[in-house]
Amino acid sequence: MPHARHVESIRTTLPDAVHALLNHLLVSVVLLCVGVPAAVAADSRELLLAIYSVPKEAYENRLIPTFKQQWKQRTGQEIRIRSSYGASGAQARAIIGGFDADVTALSVEGDVDQIVKAGLITHDWRKAADRGNVSASVVAFGVRKGNPKSIKTWDDLTKPGVEVLYPNPKTSGGAMWDIIAMYGAGLKLADAKQGAPEAQAAGLIKRIQKNVKVMDKSGRESVTTFERGVGDVIVTYENELLPRITSGRPIELVLPAETILIENPAALIDRHVDKHQTRDVAEAFIAFLHSEDAQRAFAEYEFRTVSTARAATSTSKSFSQPAHLFTIADLGGWEKISSLLFSPQGVWTRAVEEVARGK
Amino acid sequence: MTGHTLTRLALRSATVGYVLCLIVLPLAGIGWQSFADGWGRFIDDILQPQAQAALVLTLQAALITTCVNAVFGTLSAWVLVRFDFPGRAFLNALVDLPFAIPTLVAGIMIAAVYGATSPLGAWLQRGGIEVLYNVPGIVLAMLFVTMPFTIRALQPVLMELEQDQEEAAYTLGATPWQAFWRVTVPSILPGLLTGVFLTFVRALGEFGSVVIVAGNIPLKTQVAAVYVYGEIESYNPQGATSVSVVVLLFCFLALMLLERLIRPPGERLPAFLIGKPVPS
Repeated sequence: MPHARHVESIRTTLPDAVHALLNHLLVSVVLLCVGVPAAVAADSRELLLAIYSVPKEAYENRLIPTFKQQWKQRTGQEIRIRSSYGASGAQARAIIGGFDADVTALSVEGDVDQIVKAGLITHDWRKAADRGNVSASVVAFGVRKGNPKSIKTWDDLTKPGVEVLYPNPKTSGGAMWDIIAMYGAGLKLADAKQGAPEAQAAGLIKRIQKNVKVMDKSGRESVTTFERGVGDVIVTYENELLPRITSGRPIELVLPAETILIENPAALIDRHVDKHQTRDVAEAFIAFLHSEDAQRAFAEYEFRTVSTARAATSTSKSFSQPAHLFTIADLGGWEKISSLLFSPQGVWTRAVEEVARGK
Repeated sequence: MTGHTLTRLALRSATVGYVLCLIVLPLAGIGWQSFADGWGRFIDDILQPQAQAALVLTLQAALITTCVNAVFGTLSAWVLVRFDFPGRAFLNALVDLPFAIPTLVAGIMIAAVYGATSPLGAWLQRGGIEVLYNVPGIVLAMLFVTMPFTIRALQPVLMELEQDQEEAAYTLGATPWQAFWRVTVPSILPGLLTGVFLTFVRALGEFGSVVIVAGNIPLKTQVAAVYVYGEIESYNPQGATSVSVVVLLFCFLALMLLERLIRPPGERLPAFLIGKPVPS
């Protein structure tokens, strides 16, 4: 019976086909796990970066091409660098959630620490030069052309009729820096006769918050809102404002006498570099970010250099120096200050609640 | 016979599986996550002043939106069905636009019209009316994105409602008011309720357009969806989930109520809604 034979033959060949398919799969999986990294290590290498959105142009146009070139000169290897840009916190969360970047450069230390907490960064990244920071800026004011409301000091932000913009610190690392700057400035401005400096700093935050008109999700968005004509003054990174001023937008930069040095960290992610066998490249890239070449590139994009000593010698750019510049370390470190200000009972959280209740 | 049963079974399990995968599974996930640390944590999360204020504001704005769209949606549907005028087809096509464009774009559109740099925005500001970055802006955004619901739910019902039914009521001695309340309203009520409730639940969850036009200041102009986003961004997924569950609960209750009011299909609505049945 030919019909039955035909069925029979299908029965015997089917398992064979499945078997063959499984073998193929197995081979390809093994190749993927072992073969590919080994092959890559031989001649062409790859590095995956997760970077916050603000310095995108500096990385894409200057830093990455220069590093590629230097690496080629030193080792003869071609290197392929893929990079992703996004909000600092979102990048940190993506990495924790499985995005296997080799190196990350973020806006705030707190985001790097979240990756440490997830067990993906196992080395002490603050041990690196400049405590692990690769770029810097300061918190500054952007005002309308001609500074019609003559805003010069933090106190001017509290005047009636002055509308202030800064983003929400829950979603923006930049806003955290802005509010930390307010707090630090409040401490510096505190009058010894009027009680505890901490209370006076909290008072400054509250009085500024009273004038806040819009709280956007990110620093970029906040500048866009300001350019749309909302508000009299925007509190943001100096490096967000300078390129816009250079390109002729009707904005002026005002540097308050008391402000904070914003420092942005970068670190390699141990788990991922070990998995990809890219530790040497990742280490070289971090070292490169601290180098003079990289710092000069950052300066071209209006970032300040991380080390003030180096800034004097290696960059042609001169930024005006605020009279009373302080750092996060002066205030007791990121962890302490961020929980002091932004926890559910924090200074900023309470200020917002009190302003809303009209106290 | 068996083939028919099999097909039916397959179709039914496909439907169940589809709903299960797309809706029940994520719902179970978020529910499980929000109560992972117990009820105490959940209560704490939703009693946070900022969370509470965001939920209250969202409910208020959604309720206002629902009322406005119920009235103007009904009116618009009525006009679009019953009257013929030049440009009707075009107007009718425009109604679906809020569904088609990304809500973020809707927000930008509203900001462009009512912003301080636009003539209208400047004029309103001189008059002391703050639309943008205030509650009216939030309602406006919600109105925009939910506009089609009532209109589109009512249009087919109104088209099916034959005018002769109303005319029959007149010949039986009904006043126009009686004809409207006793004949027209009962027929369109299921459609109207569907539109209204969908408007409400859609407004509750709106994020994209509201985040642009609201000032997003905690306790003042921050809606629940924006609060949830902030909590996720500041490494508090727990707090975000708890507030999300409350919003979901509101939606769920609203939809259950809707289901009760308009079901079973074809049957008359509960007596309290339409008053006494039409005497036969």
